[in-house]
Amino acid sequence: MTFYDIAHESWLSISGNKMRSFLTVLGIVIGIMAVVIMVAVGETVQQSITDQFSSLGTNTIMIRAGAAQSAGIRSGNRMTLTLDDAEFVGKLSDVAAVSPVENSNAQVVYGNKNWSTSMVGVYPGYATVQNIEMEYGSFFDMNAVKTAATYAVIGPDTAEELGMPKNPVGEIIRVRNTPMTVIGVTKAKGDSSMGSQDDMIIIPITTLKKRLSGSRFPNAVQMISLKLYQDADNNIVTDQITELLRSRHKLKDGTADDFQITDMKQVMETMETVSSYLTLLLVAIAAVSLLVGSIGIMNMMMVSVSERTREIGIRKAIGAQEGTIITQFLSESILISFIGSMFGLILGVGLSQGIGRFVMGYNVPFSIWPVVVSISVAIFVGLVSGVMPAIKAAKLNPIDSLRYE
Amino acid sequence: MVVLVVVDQCNMVAHMKKTPVISLKKICKSFPLEIGGFQQVLFDNTFNVMPGEFVAIMGPSGSGKSTCMNIIGALDTASSGVYELYGRDITTLSPDELAKIRNEYIGFVFQNFNLLPKRNILDNVMLPLMYRGMPISERENRAREMLKLVELEKFETYLPTQLSGGMKQRVAIARALAGDPKIILADEPTGALDSKMGNEILKFFKKLNKELGITIVMITHEFEIASYANRVIHIYDGHITYDGPIPKNESVLTKSEQKAHKK
Repeated sequence: MTFYDIAHESWLSISGNKMRSFLTVLGIVIGIMAVVIMVAVGETVQQSITDQFSSLGTNTIMIRAGAAQSAGIRSGNRMTLTLDDAEFVGKLSDVAAVSPVENSNAQVVYGNKNWSTSMVGVYPGYATVQNIEMEYGSFFDMNAVKTAATYAVIGPDTAEELGMPKNPVGEIIRVRNTPMTVIGVTKAKGDSSMGSQDDMIIIPITTLKKRLSGSRFPNAVQMISLKLYQDADNNIVTDQITELLRSRHKLKDGTADDFQITDMKQVMETMETVSSYLTLLLVAIAAVSLLVGSIGIMNMMMVSVSERTREIGIRKAIGAQEGTIITQFLSESILISFIGSMFGLILGVGLSQGIGRFVMGYNVPFSIWPVVVSISVAIFVGLVSGVMPAIKAAKLNPIDSLRYE
Repeated sequence: MVVLVVVDQCNMVAHMKKTPVISLKKICKSFPLEIGGFQQVLFDNTFNVMPGEFVAIMGPSGSGKSTCMNIIGALDTASSGVYELYGRDITTLSPDELAKIRNEYIGFVFQNFNLLPKRNILDNVMLPLMYRGMPISERENRAREMLKLVELEKFETYLPTQLSGGMKQRVAIARALAGDPKIILADEPTGALDSKMGNEILKFFKKLNKELGITIVMITHEFEIASYANRVIHIYDGHITYDGPIPKNESVLTKSEQKAHKK
């Protein structure tokens, strides 16, 4: 038998029972489609994590005041970090930029509109640490920090919510009744899992502490955020910071740190690991439907062998050898699986790209490996689910088969 | 092309005149019983069928004629004895080797036609040639020739279900002839046909045998049908009770049964 004969015979057998073949193919379509979509979902999540971190930079380290949480309870004094700590950390050779960070909320008033948003008090280095680019105006400088100037850099969403002009540089807004001059608007970055960076106001930390909060501890800061040079080793710098701060805070050996260091590279790696496990889980769940689909093929082929017992007998009587019968039944199951896989692949890619990209607005990555996997799975599933019925068919006794009613 | 087939057949017949097409030597067949032990259905069956013969194997139901046909048709193997097909001992061949023998040497015509219902007539006739690995165009030509021979060339795209019983049997004959077999093995070929169509088919067999020299072995339980052959082998309870020319009436065969019974 030539390849054409095998393919032709398989096609005639499959198309001879359209509804049953369609339902069997449907099982594989759903299975492959589910796998492809789940892979796309997993890859989209991973891509999204990578994108968010790359907008922040993985060479970013955050130092938080207070000891590490234990069973959800933060122990120790939270006012452990100071502006001086930030300046000392900034002097480490691998640190490219540093900024103390004080988070707060503010009711911002512009004209007759007001808007509640997050407010952050920082140093000018914050722009470098957070990869902030300016749409209009500029970021404030160290002089503004020293003088606790009433300058504000606002996010594009904040400007829009407040109904400010397209370029609001020079406009006056009121924050906690303090008039402040908008000196810049940041470029839109989009939402991230760490909150929107487009809806916030950024002001000098001294302004926040002295003018707006009236803090009793003007030198204390919640967090120090810093960016390392590209070639810096995060682990080494983390150790250096720990050593520096423990020495500055005069912590004895054996006592816990009164600060926490978060290395964004580690966080990203952890999140990527989690998301890859999530992908694996999703694919495993989807693979169950593929398994059910392949059992469907096996079932159909088994029924087919029973139904076609007489046909098998005729074929054997006129000269079909066992190998030929096995080839015929295997090629039928592979063809079903292949057709199902191709439709599943097309639907899976179409739906994940169509819904993900165009309806939900995600950047859904397209990988070649689901295509390769689909084709491999098609052949594998076809072979596995067809092998038992094929052997059963081949081993049928031609005399009994010819008598079969 | 039909002429070529005739010449080919005649040459073959002349060449192999002295070699029996079928040679059964002390063939026994027994089947295992579910309750244990064996049931013997053929006892030391011995006969030859020479090229160009038209032989009817006759016997009542349960006599063992179908078992004998299965062995002759290489669908089954004997429990003991030797079966030679064109001088080649095929008694101990594997199932795949037997399939090859069936494809090359034997053309089957079954009582209930055994055509593939979802394949058209042409596909059905081409089937044995496909298993022989013949190229498609050659296969189609050969199948069309055979359909012409059975006068069904206009029906090649029809499905078997669209044909009458007689036509179906002619398709089965075309399929059997397509592989240029050494022997046509017909198992109750008129069993599913009315007498008119049955006679038509039997006349066609007679024509094939006479004009093309094709060896035919036909299984039947009816004397009238057997009388179309030149020779009858009568089997009763697994024993050959008569082997010779067609007797004038059936009583000769019945007597042979009684004789065997007494033994």
